[in-house]
Parts: sequence; structure tokens; C-alpha cells
Amino acid sequence: MQTELLQSTGASHKHLRLDPRTKLFIALITNTAAFSGNVWYLMVALAAIPLSLLFASNKIKSGVYCTLAYIIAVLLNELVMPATHGIPNLFIAMVATTLYRMMPGLIMGYYLVTTTTVSEFVASMERMHLSQKIIIPMSVMFRFFPTIGEEARAIGDAMRMRGIGLGSGRLFKKPMAMLEYRMVPLLMSTVKIGDELSAASLTRGLGGPVKRTNVCEIGFGVQDIAILIIGILIFIAFTIN
Amino acid sequence: MNNKLQTKDLISVGIFTAIYFVIFFACGMLGYIPILFILLPAYMPMITGIPFMLFLTKVKKFGMVSIMAILLGIIMFATGHTWVPIATALIFGLLADLVFKTGKYQSFKHSVLGYGIFSMWSMGAMLPLWIMRDSYLQYISNSMGDEYTNAVISITPDWAAVAIFFTAFASGIAGAFLGKAVLKKHFQRAGIA
Repeated sequence: MQTELLQSTGASHKHLRLDPRTKLFIALITNTAAFSGNVWYLMVALAAIPLSLLFASNKIKSGVYCTLAYIIAVLLNELVMPATHGIPNLFIAMVATTLYRMMPGLIMGYYLVTTTTVSEFVASMERMHLSQKIIIPMSVMFRFFPTIGEEARAIGDAMRMRGIGLGSGRLFKKPMAMLEYRMVPLLMSTVKIGDELSAASLTRGLGGPVKRTNVCEIGFGVQDIAILIIGILIFIAFTIN
Repeated sequence: MNNKLQTKDLISVGIFTAIYFVIFFACGMLGYIPILFILLPAYMPMITGIPFMLFLTKVKKFGMVSIMAILLGIIMFATGHTWVPIATALIFGLLADLVFKTGKYQSFKHSVLGYGIFSMWSMGAMLPLWIMRDSYLQYISNSMGDEYTNAVISITPDWAAVAIFFTAFASGIAGAFLGKAVLKKHFQRAGIA
């Protein structure tokens, strides 16, 4: 199965579906709040939103991993950090605070990109009246990430066959040459694919003068309102603290 | 010549933003090796210089570099960074675009300077380390006392935040030269650049 940053096929209707705009708004709240507050139960409440969303959209495995990682981060921050001194403390503090503050945002970002399809994303951006100058490059970009990954894997295979793999130890002897061997073919092929993609999408009417239609149904539902209220409440709690 | 952005230009922006971001992300992953994290501003702009210089050969109109910067800021935000990268990307992307414009998107000198400026956007991802410092310092001064707090302040001084920007700028200049060299060696011969 190919990994995609934004999926091209939709999730099944059985799971909790949120409007992409709700997800973006919650991401904004988590990213801003995580860097302003310092009370542990509020941080846990904040991290609980993306974690429960992960479970609700049937991403049990990643949900469990993220929960465990965050529990460790909170424990490090609340118990281990005050108990150590000197250089170890400085090191633990660096790792723990970074994890403690970055993780809610990272999990939300992960949830956003794994549960939203490209078309849904484009549809919601059109609803937000963003300029076509942003929407077109952005949808091309998301379409292109998996292609780059595919090409990079193919080039990696070809290089390994000739004994220029990353594990052969040459990475440290000749870093510049390794960079060249990897990057130049990648750029060559992706630029060519890009030209073809450009021609293909122009043929299919991208950038035409008429407003394009979109098959995705997006809109706010009860679940969106509930999540938004929870998010705003937690944000207010953060600002009061 | 038509100076408005065509759909074809917008598509190239999308493609090169994707390439730039993948390479940028790969470099960022190397930053998880502890020592390299400190060197991140020094090597990251240098490596991303190669795709960026190739991108510049396609740029002939004002706005393409700015749009790329905005997209990079948004995707950094969507993958869990703060809003700070969006702000720095907007500022440095626009500045770089203006520099490229004064060189009519042809001059090599302007490209070098412009890419140096552009490179500084990514340091917005590191800035929160300084922005969130106050609450962290307050926390440790409560639990460890002032002596220890002063030691921490002396290890991570404010000028380090300025220094990473300068490092990124210098590395961007080097990256532009590296990119140009690679362009000359490979892409011009193949007829892509």
C-alpha cells in the first residue's frame, strides 16, 4: 500500500467524518494553545482531542502509539524533570518539553492529512474563498508527493543494484557524490513527469475560465459543532490560565 | 509578454514546492541525530539549493516564489508546527521575490542573494524554541533556583536566534552556487534548465 500525504480515496462512511475546515480550525487551536499554557491537565485535555479523533476514525494502531508517546512525554515533564539535576536534566528537559508541546499539534497534523482526501481539501478551500493561485499549486503539490516517493524508491533500488546504496558506507566518505547520485536523477524524472502532468491537467480543463464543480459533499454537521465547542472551551481555559 | 500568472506557472509552483518540501523534509529527518540538529541551519539551505535553482529557471513572473513560500508555510503548519513558519515564509518569500524581480529573474547575482533571503524562512520552525523560552525559564527557576536558571540562559542566549538566521542566509548563498554548479553539470546538458 502506498503512503500518501493526503489520500486520493475517501474513508468509508462508517467512521466519524469532520469537515476539513473544522480540522484546520482545531489544528490552529492546538498549535497556538500548546505553546502558551503550562498546566499539565489542560495539556492532556488538549492532546485528548486529536487522540480521540484518531480512535474515532478507526486509526487504532497509530492512536495507541501516539497515546503512549504522549503519556511518556507528560510523565517525563512532570516527574522525571523535577527529580534530576545538572546536565542530564538539561537534556531531558529539551526532549520532554519539545515532545510535550509539539505532540498535540503533530498528532492533529497527522490526523488532518491522513483522513482528508485531496478533493475534500480543495472543496473546503474553495468554500473558504481562497484564491485559485493558492488552490491550484496546492492540489498539484499533494497530488505530486506520492509520485516523488515512488520515483525516489525506484532510484534507490537502481543505486543499490550498482552498489551505491545508502548503507554501503560511502555516505560518509563522499557525501556530495551521494547527494548528486540521488538528487539529480530524482529531479530529472520528476520535472519530466511534472511537465506531462501539467499538459494533462490543462487538457482536462484545469484553470479554465468557468468555475469548476466538485463531487465532494462537505458541510458542518452535529459532530463538527460538538468538536468545535470542545476546542474553543479548552482554548478559553488556556487563555484564562 | 503576459505578466499575469498562467495555470501552467501555478502547476510548476506546485510541482517544485513538492520536490523542495520532500528534500527539505529528508534533511529535517537527519536533524533527529542530535549533533546534526544544531547544524540544521547550516546544511539544509545548501542541499535545497539544487531544486530551488532549478525552479528559478522556470520562474519568469512575480508571485511564483511568494506562492511557494506560502504553501511551504501552510504545509509546515498542517504537519504540526506553529503559525511562526507561515509568518516567516510570507516575509522572506516576498522579499526574495522582490530581489528576483529586480534582477528580472535572469541575473545570477540576484538569484544568489534572493535564495539566501528565501532560505531564512525555514528558521521560523526553530524560533518557537526562543518564543516559548519564557515559560520554560519560569518553570525551572521555580524548581531549581536562580543560579541554575542563569546557567541555562547563558547556554542558550538570545543572539543564538539571530545567529541561526545568519547561518541560514550564508548557507543559502552557498546553496545557490552549489545549485548553479549542478544545473550546469547536468540539467543544461539535458536541456531541462
